[in-house]
Amino acid sequence: VRRAFHAGDAGSGLGVGRAIGVSLGRLSKLLGSHTSVLGLVLLIALTWTGFTTIGGSGFLGSFNLYSVGQLAARDAVLGMAQALLIVVARMNLAAGGIGAMCTSLLGYLLVVAHAPLWLALVLVCVVGVLAALLMGFAELATGLSSFIVTLAFLSVYDGGALLATGGRQFQITSPAMQTLGNGTLLFPAICPLMAVAVVCGVLCWLLYFRNSLGWKMLAVGANERAARASGLNVAGVVLAAYALSGLLCGVATVMNASYELNVNAGFGADWLLPSFIAAVLGGVALTGGEISVAGILLAALFYDSLQSGLTIIDVPSYWIELPQGLVLLAAVLLDQARRRRARPLALTPPAEPGTAGLSS
Amino acid sequence: MKWLFSTQWAPLLAATAVAGIVLGFATKQFGTAFNVYTILQTTAIYAAIGLSQMVVLAVADMSLAVGGIAGLVTIAVGGLYGAQHWSIGAAIVAGLMLGLVCGLVNGLIIAEVDLSGFIVTLATGTAFTGIAYGVTSSIPYSSIPSVLVSLGQGRASFFSYLMVPAIAMTVAVGAGFRWLPIGRSILAVGGNREAALLAGIPYKRAMVVAHALSGLLAAIAAVMYIGVLESATPATGSEWLIISFAVPIIGGTALVGGDAPAAGCFVAAMVLAAINDVLIVLNVNTEAVQMAEGLLIFAAVISGKLVRSVGRPSLISGKPLHIAGGEGA
Repeated sequence: VRRAFHAGDAGSGLGVGRAIGVSLGRLSKLLGSHTSVLGLVLLIALTWTGFTTIGGSGFLGSFNLYSVGQLAARDAVLGMAQALLIVVARMNLAAGGIGAMCTSLLGYLLVVAHAPLWLALVLVCVVGVLAALLMGFAELATGLSSFIVTLAFLSVYDGGALLATGGRQFQITSPAMQTLGNGTLLFPAICPLMAVAVVCGVLCWLLYFRNSLGWKMLAVGANERAARASGLNVAGVVLAAYALSGLLCGVATVMNASYELNVNAGFGADWLLPSFIAAVLGGVALTGGEISVAGILLAALFYDSLQSGLTIIDVPSYWIELPQGLVLLAAVLLDQARRRRARPLALTPPAEPGTAGLSS
Repeated sequence: MKWLFSTQWAPLLAATAVAGIVLGFATKQFGTAFNVYTILQTTAIYAAIGLSQMVVLAVADMSLAVGGIAGLVTIAVGGLYGAQHWSIGAAIVAGLMLGLVCGLVNGLIIAEVDLSGFIVTLATGTAFTGIAYGVTSSIPYSSIPSVLVSLGQGRASFFSYLMVPAIAMTVAVGAGFRWLPIGRSILAVGGNREAALLAGIPYKRAMVVAHALSGLLAAIAAVMYIGVLESATPATGSEWLIISFAVPIIGGTALVGGDAPAAGCFVAAMVLAAINDVLIVLNVNTEAVQMAEGLLIFAAVISGKLVRSVGRPSLISGKPLHIAGGEGA
């Protein structure tokens, strides 16, 4: 939006009219592609007002907002980890499996091996990247769909983490980790984890909008065959997407462990749903080739506001799962409706079987 | 005899049979009638779960809601019998209808809005599980009718009674895909949606019927499992996701659709049940079973791809799964 106004300011004389026209065009284009962002802001405002009205001021209290931020920060990073692969028309069902493995490793390194914190964090991220890269290689070597590859690896990683740790608990006592997950940043309602999520978001934005690798990812996701035909190294781009997705899984693991502190290999078992909700609700097209980083951050904030709000208005915990499903369903249906309205006459020829295949 | 060697699961079955015989002689626990009964009991449940996934894979879609539907049906049957005091027959019929309706809802959303089954059933499956937990406040029903218990735990020597419904389902599904017009059109749509549309085969009807049937089969699996567990808990189905894919895929179902090997599913269920049992008899952790399942899925898809690439090179050439079908048609 700011760029559009700058374009308007720059015009003079005869150029003004044209510049304003261009800037208006740009503005509407920007807003058009960001309806989900505006919608999400409204949705969050609505949720917050609603829960404050029904549940009293407890919802807007700094204690509650703090815990919402804690969870939303992790879910936003998970959403980005998922979106990185959705953008290249793939998916990462094994995010939770990588999380389980990284959590076990982090716990082992910090609690049993007494490794220095920086080393533990680096190793966790490296393992996250390697675990995801392995899936990428498996997908490219076999030409199978990422769904089945990551599903199989979910089972392997999850089982492996449980097997290796034998289900033991690790009590993390590192003060730096405690500050990261349970300290405050400037305001009592702001958790340092939110800064981590925002930094990840900015890096993602830079990747997709200021870096050729991100553009290549968007191109591969939009039309893999065309991307290959125009000379892109599709395999390399896909592997990069897997590696970055694994890296963010590692970051999410550290974030999760920093506020839970008492960790075990069961962590990650419930990551699948939030990762997809944040990505899909945030406006990432499931068909690939589109990204909205702001959308993901806001979607995670909305999702966790809803969760905590329901708890505040005394909805019993066993009713918590239903709204999760309904939110995802609503998000998918709304997204589809929006896309249909955006191009009502888009007649695309049917896809040929195997057109976008990697082994073809 | 030739077909026996050409089918994908034949070598798997042979290997399992040989391993089973060897283990039967090598260990004392494996070859007993009780242990074989345990394997067959697990086989029956796995086969039912696998068939439920297979019918949607046949139409080139997938369902992550198999477990969610099973959880909901479980508490419906348990609640109607235990809390509402319905007769067990009526409760089971109501449960099966509920499963059918859940599947129907999935199918209608997917076909009408033109979305992929993956994301829709991820959402609805969570919602179904959510309803099951909410309605019961997470408390299982423990008064289970003796009919279901004797079905789930009854046996004649090594023969688990659960094999009867499992075999009946396998035969019915296999025959339906072979001879019923709707079965053929599901396969046609799954094999090539555009070609099927051009040939005048209704895409939406095939998709809706496949998902409704999947819901019904998941409901049958749930009813069978109530007796095994002797409890109707909303947690039923929470662990079924991987097994629901492992069974049909190891059984030779193509992920690209157009294929519905019901018998292969049954054999794969037996193989997985036997592996599960062997690992438990050998005192290996259950986590290792989970890992083995993952690796087996992978091995099965790769071997299936190799087998296919000899006969029909183009069908499974790494076409990415159609996540959101919005672009087609």
